[in-house]
Amino acid sequence: MTTTSFSSRIALIAALAVTLAGSARAQAHFEQSLTLSGGLYAASGFGTNFYSSGRYDYFIPGTRYFVEASLGVGSLSSKVISTVTKARIFTSDNLVTYEFAGAFDYAPGGAMPYFLFGVGGVREGQETHFAGVLGIGKRIALPGFLGSNALGFRYDIRDQIFSQVINNSDPFIVHNITATVGLQIYF
Amino acid sequence: MSVSSRLRSTLLASTLLCAAAHGQTTPAPPVTESTRTPLIDLNESVAFEVCPHTGMMGSSGTFGLKLLMTYSSFSLELAGEQVIGRTANLYPVSVNAVLNLSTHGRLIPYGAVGAGLWLTVPVNALGAETVSTLGMNFGGGARFFITRTFGIRLEAKQYFTSISDSRGLKNDLLFFQEVSVGATFLFH
Repeated sequence: MTTTSFSSRIALIAALAVTLAGSARAQAHFEQSLTLSGGLYAASGFGTNFYSSGRYDYFIPGTRYFVEASLGVGSLSSKVISTVTKARIFTSDNLVTYEFAGAFDYAPGGAMPYFLFGVGGVREGQETHFAGVLGIGKRIALPGFLGSNALGFRYDIRDQIFSQVINNSDPFIVHNITATVGLQIYF
Repeated sequence: MSVSSRLRSTLLASTLLCAAAHGQTTPAPPVTESTRTPLIDLNESVAFEVCPHTGMMGSSGTFGLKLLMTYSSFSLELAGEQVIGRTANLYPVSVNAVLNLSTHGRLIPYGAVGAGLWLTVPVNALGAETVSTLGMNFGGGARFFITRTFGIRLEAKQYFTSISDSRGLKNDLLFFQEVSVGATFLFH
């Protein structure tokens, strides 16, 4: 019984590996992709708001690396700050972020996520901050979805790290976290 | 002649025969067009490049985009970037002439010189207005192509501009150094 259970687990893992590898191969010939993502942006000290982004990826042929440029928009509105203090920290609540990053995807068809490192600009109102970006994510191919082999699903978690000064305070390091899911189109 | 020496002779002869047969049946592969063509050849046609980049100017971070039109050794470049400062952001926009020191292969070093407009936009300063000045730059770098369409780019540049006080009585010449790294996408 134990042997059978073990064998069936091995068979299941093998089947999953073959399936995932097959789905990864289905998109292996694509070099570029565009992604539309939506999710949450947790601005340190300001709360969490909805966030959306567009990403362009270029997959370097023959390697496990890709590079990415992304543009995101969100909000810095905070009910606590506006209700309790009536203070206005920035000239507006608009948030715009842009990132240039490189990523290493060890197993595009496997369970391992990809790791991403880069730099970005975080524009809060009229103030722009130069940020370091760390992230992990996963691209999941959707072969045959909507009759196409060029679609995929992805999720991303990013940490934008930068130095901030508010109202003449001493500079302090903030970690703004984004979590997004999106639909990826390969071409 | 002993059995072992006969066996050795037979083995030697068969090895020689095999080597000769191998040499006859597999001639050296002809040099095809693809093996002679370098990965990048800037002489073959006009090429266009898009180069997003990031770096440091002084202690401030920068982001920018460069658009190049290249034929052979010469490139015309349109560059715009954002230099992120604490009290103001600087937006240099320039047109540059680029001399490519190589036109073949993966590695293309280059030198560049150009001029343009510098826009200094204050941050959160009430009443402050955008200041524009003329500036020049020169420098050099290299593009290293990993594939026929994608490469990385390193560059170091010296920028300088002259600013005057509001009454125009005094001019100051300011110098800035920038180091940047980026990607380049090549289209023919």
